Amino acid sequence: MKTKRRKFSFSNLAIYIILSAMSVVWIMPILWLIMTSFRGEPGAWTPYIFPKEYTVANYTRLFTETGLFNYPRWFINTLIVAVFTCVISTILVLMTSYTLSRLRFRGRKGIMNIGLILGMFPGFMSMIAIYFILKAMGLSQSLTALVLVYSGAAGLGYFIAKGFFDTIPRVLDEAAIVDGANQNTIFWRIILPLSKPIVVYTVLMSFIAPWVDFIFVSVIMKDNYNNYTIALGLYQMITRENIYRYFTQFCAGAVLIAIPITILFIYMQKYYVEGVTGGAVKG
Amino acid sequence: MRKILAIILTLAMFGAVLAGCKKEPETITLKVWGSQEDQAMLQEMIDAFKTAHTDANYVITLGVVSEADAKTKVLEDPAAAADVFQFANDQIVDLVNAGALYEVTRNKADIIAANMEGSIEASTVNDKLYAYPSTADNGYFMYYDKSVFSAEDVKSLDTMLTVADAAGKKVFMDVSNGWYIASFFLGAGGKLTVGEDGKQVCDFNNANGVKAGEAIKAFTAHNAFLAGDDAVLTGGIGTTIAAGVSGTWNAEAISEKLGENYAATKLPEFNMGGTQAQMSSFAGFKLVGVSSQTQAPVAAMELAEWLTNEENQIKRFETRQMGPANINAANSEEVKANVALAALAEQNQHAVSQKEVLGGYWVPAEAFGTAMEAKDYSKTIQEMLDEMVAQIQG
Repeated sequence: MKTKRRKFSFSNLAIYIILSAMSVVWIMPILWLIMTSFRGEPGAWTPYIFPKEYTVANYTRLFTETGLFNYPRWFINTLIVAVFTCVISTILVLMTSYTLSRLRFRGRKGIMNIGLILGMFPGFMSMIAIYFILKAMGLSQSLTALVLVYSGAAGLGYFIAKGFFDTIPRVLDEAAIVDGANQNTIFWRIILPLSKPIVVYTVLMSFIAPWVDFIFVSVIMKDNYNNYTIALGLYQMITRENIYRYFTQFCAGAVLIAIPITILFIYMQKYYVEGVTGGAVKG
Repeated sequence: MRKILAIILTLAMFGAVLAGCKKEPETITLKVWGSQEDQAMLQEMIDAFKTAHTDANYVITLGVVSEADAKTKVLEDPAAAADVFQFANDQIVDLVNAGALYEVTRNKADIIAANMEGSIEASTVNDKLYAYPSTADNGYFMYYDKSVFSAEDVKSLDTMLTVADAAGKKVFMDVSNGWYIASFFLGAGGKLTVGEDGKQVCDFNNANGVKAGEAIKAFTAHNAFLAGDDAVLTGGIGTTIAAGVSGTWNAEAISEKLGENYAATKLPEFNMGGTQAQMSSFAGFKLVGVSSQTQAPVAAMELAEWLTNEENQIKRFETRQMGPANINAANSEEVKANVALAALAEQNQHAVSQKEVLGGYWVPAEAFGTAMEAKDYSKTIQEMLDEMVAQIQG
C-alpha cells in the first residue's frame, strides 16, 4: 500500500513538473507582452525581463496621441468589420451546412467535395485578383470591401456545422413537415434552437478573423490610412524608424485587441466547448 | 501634302499658344505617398507649394506608403499609385524596368548640379534621370560609447574587440544580414555588378573575398562579438554593448541611452590577411519619383522637385534629422554638427552604390552570415563563398 502510494505520487510529481514547465512556456510570452505594455522604458528589447519602471502611459497615449497612429479609429474600423463579417458569414455558413445536411439534390456530393478542396487553398492566394475585382466594382479601399472579403468564402467552412446538423435526428424535420412546416421554418424554428453550440462556434470564428488578418487589409487598403484595421495599423508602429519609440505602445495595442474577443469568448464559452466537440462525438 | 501638314502644324502651334494664353485656372489633382512619420512634414511642404503656385487650382492628397513599401505598392496596381511617391534607391531599377517611373525632363541640369554625385548616380538608370534625390541617409556606420573607446581605438576592428573584451562589453553587428555583411566584401575590393544578360555578377569568392570571409569568421568567433537586430542594439547599448553598426534611424534612441558618451564614426578597418582594409558599406538614398501613369506630369514633376529642393531638404533635416542629398544643405553647419550624419558622411566616402544589387543577393548572403554567427565551420570559407556566389549568380 505504502509503496503503491509512493509510486502514484512519484508519477504524479513527474506529470506536475511537465505540466508546470509547459504552462510556463505557454504563458510566458503572454505575461511578457502584458509586462512590456506597462514598461516605462522605450525600446523593443531590454537586457532584463522585469521592467524597471511601470506606467499606464502606453495605454493612454494610444488614445490621446492620435496624430501619428490613430489607434481608436483603427479599433472602431476593425470592430465594425468584425461585427458585419460575423453576422454575414455565420448566416452563410449555417445555411450552407443546413442545405448540405438536410436537402438531397443532384450534385450534392460533388459540391461538397469541390467546396472542401477549394477551402484548402488559402484565401490570399487570389488576393490580387480580388483587389482588381473590388476596384472594378469601385469598392477598393473601403470597409465594405473587407467585410465582403472576409465573409465571401464563409460557405466553404461548412464542414463542422454540417457534421453537427447531421446528428440532429431527421424525425424532428419529418414531424415538422407533417405539421405543415417548410424548409425555411424548419431551419429557423427547429434546427437553429437545437444548434446553439455550433452557432456560437461559428460566430466566434468569424469574429476573430478581421482582428488577426494582415494580408488582405494591406492589399485592399493600400494608402488609405483612415480605413486601416488594427493589424495593419499596429504594424506601422514597428517599422525600422518607429520601433524604438513605439514598441511598448504596440504591445499595449495588442493587449487591447484581446478585450472584445475575450468578452465575446467568456460570454459564449459554455456553448463553445460543446460546439467544437458536439459535431465530432455524436457524428 | 507637305504644305497641308505645315498648315496643320502651324494651326496646332497657334492653338497651343492660344491655349497657353488662357488665364482660367485649371484644377490639378495630385496624390503624394510618403511614410507615416513624414505626413505632417509633407503636408506643410505641400501647403507651401500651393501658396507658391497660384497658376492652377491644386488639389493634393497624401497617402501613407513608406519608402520601403513603395515598389510593392506601385507595382501591385500602377494605375492606383500616387503621382508623386517617395522610395528607397534600391528599388529604382525594378521600377524603371516595370515602366513605373516618369523620366525627369524638367530642370534636369539644375537638379543634377544641386545634389550629390552619388545621389544622382543612384537616381539614374541607363543614363536617364528617373528620380529626385531627397535624402542621403540610408546607410550605416558605427555608434560607440566614448567611455569605453578612444577616438584612436575605433579605427581598427581588432583593437575595438580587444578593448571591449577587456571591459567585459560587446561589439554589435548584424552579420546575418546581407546589407551589413557586404561591408567586409566590398571593403576587400569585391564587386556586385549586373552583367550584360541582366543577371547578377559577384566576385566575393575570389582570393580577396576569402580573406574578407576569414575576417568575418574571426570577428564572429571573438568573445566580444554580439549579433542581433536593431532592438538588441538599442536595448543593450551603454550597458552590455559598447559599439554597434547601424544607421541614422537609431540615432535618437542611442544618443538617449549613451548620453554624454554618445559618439559615432565611420566603420573601422579590418584585418584582411595581415593588411588593414577599410570596411565599406552600401550608400542608400531616399528618392522622390513621378509615376508614369500620372495625368498631370508637368505639375507632378514640379511638385516632386519642390519636395526635394534645398529648402525642403533642410526642412527634412530639421524636422526628422534626415541627411540632405542637396550639396548646399549638406554643407550647412547644423548638418555637420549632427554626430550621426557626420559619421555617415565620413563613411559614405568608402561606400558603394546599392543600385546594381539585385534581389537575388540578399538571401544567400544572409545564409552565409547566419552560418558565421552560428560558428558553423563544417565547410571552409572558400567552399561557403563558392556556394554563396553560385546562388547569387543563379
